[in-house]
Amino acid sequence: MIRSKNTLRYFLPVLAVAAYLFLYIPIIILIIFSFNKSDLPLVWEGFSWQWYIALWNSPDMWHALKNSLIVALCSVALSIVLGLFFVFYGSRNFLGKLLVMFYASLAMPEIVLAVGLLSLFSFFSVPLSLTTLIAGHTLIGLGYVVPILHSRFQELDKRYMEASLDLGATETQTLGLVIIPLMLQSLLAAALLVFVLSFDDFLISFFCSGGSTQTLPIYIFVMIRSGATPMINALSTILLVVSSLLVLIFSSLKIKKMDFLQ
Amino acid sequence: MKKINANFRSEFPFFMALPAVAWQFFFCYVPVVCLILLSFLRSGNTAFDTQAVTLENYTYFFSPLFALVIGRSLLLAFCTAFFCLLFAYPVSYCLAIKIRRFKNIFLFFLILPFWTSFMVQAYAWFFVLEHNGLINTILLNLGVISAPLHLLNTTLSIYIVMVYCYLPFMIMPLYTALEKIDRRFFEAAADLGATQWQTFTKLTIPLSMPGIKTGFFLVFVPAFGEFVIPTLLGGGKKLFVGSLISQYFFVARNPNIGSAFTVITCIVLLMAVGLLYWFFNRKTVLTLTQED
Repeated sequence: MIRSKNTLRYFLPVLAVAAYLFLYIPIIILIIFSFNKSDLPLVWEGFSWQWYIALWNSPDMWHALKNSLIVALCSVALSIVLGLFFVFYGSRNFLGKLLVMFYASLAMPEIVLAVGLLSLFSFFSVPLSLTTLIAGHTLIGLGYVVPILHSRFQELDKRYMEASLDLGATETQTLGLVIIPLMLQSLLAAALLVFVLSFDDFLISFFCSGGSTQTLPIYIFVMIRSGATPMINALSTILLVVSSLLVLIFSSLKIKKMDFLQ
Repeated sequence: MKKINANFRSEFPFFMALPAVAWQFFFCYVPVVCLILLSFLRSGNTAFDTQAVTLENYTYFFSPLFALVIGRSLLLAFCTAFFCLLFAYPVSYCLAIKIRRFKNIFLFFLILPFWTSFMVQAYAWFFVLEHNGLINTILLNLGVISAPLHLLNTTLSIYIVMVYCYLPFMIMPLYTALEKIDRRFFEAAADLGATQWQTFTKLTIPLSMPGIKTGFFLVFVPAFGEFVIPTLLGGGKKLFVGSLISQYFFVARNPNIGSAFTVITCIVLLMAVGLLYWFFNRKTVLTLTQED
């Protein structure tokens, strides 16, 4: 009995530490080699910033970054506005009952959505461009925004809304002056989440972008396939730093990302 | 005019809520219908035409070769979800229940991979798995092996990186479920003389079952259609569902056959998820009756 007590006491923490090592060793090596002088990916020859400079001077990277930012910002704006309107106005008529409909894009594997969108666009012969990409990313965004905003909206004290309507505010005024300020945290959190999802998305971008529009993940994918250079390490390191900043912002918003899934 | 205005005002919420529903309808449900329609058309037809309706896209897949691809993906998805659960449980447990100090820092480092690009995570493993990478260097220096192991572009490398990339999807729901458990249950169990092992198997695991289920499906479903990791780390030697679908669309340029295959994989996935769902629900019933 004592033995089983001890095994459990030490076994789990050891496994937990192992999990952290497993998660971080590859990332740490990746970061170290981004400062490598040699252009062979795995031979350490000394410290240098040259890959960051090469990355800064690469027009392809800037092009891909610009596309990624456009798509991410547009799909954040669209999915937040559409999602908020759905949650607020939908609560006042039967459309609100269609909430279940928004879970479908989460439940399907992304490749099915991507192939589906591709065949939709070919069915109606829509040329693939940034616009088709935004359509796809907004769909992914809605799948997260609507459940997050809906669960927050349900938590709100409905008396604020009733008071505002009783005192003669229109629905739009109530939304802008009462509901949005009350939901500000979850709106920001949802926006951040959609931004990251869109910025990192590969499959939908790969299937719905056509040859000409490259986003950052596609750029990295193509670079890896055509032979790895430490430039990808530099880019990855920068992306890691950016995502840690985003996590800091997100956790300060005090919303657990997965809460709504349970 | 006044009546129209009043009518408009009463219908206003409807029209404001409609765009999101329409968006979801046009870009999620209509594409699925398009996919199904395409799969019933003879190769080369992208517009609907009753002359071109055929079943041959489906009969094409009645071959053990394709069953093998689907089976391989199912195995990959299941093993990924299983090993993720195995690795994620201890770390989520420690973080949710054991650790008090520096909890936020530990949590930060656990959430971070969730927010980093899949591509970056997969790429990081090249440095560990390559010929002169970390594992081979360590093993060679320790004298365990005499020649570098061939690790990259193998099935093993796909499995390792799959577990690595999907781990955060398991950790998050597990952590959330474990943190929700009322601490007084543990005190009660200890007071009533349960050993730690008994507490763990009879209390912690059943109470974290919602998290286990959510995590399992969150990993299983996307892992089944995973395209990037098998392509980058498998060297394209073995086909998985995701890579085969993309080959039909981009290499063979045959969307009809490709969509038929997608429909078939969706049906298989639905059956697999249904089976898992049944299994999980049966298991919870069993543990609950044991507790009685």
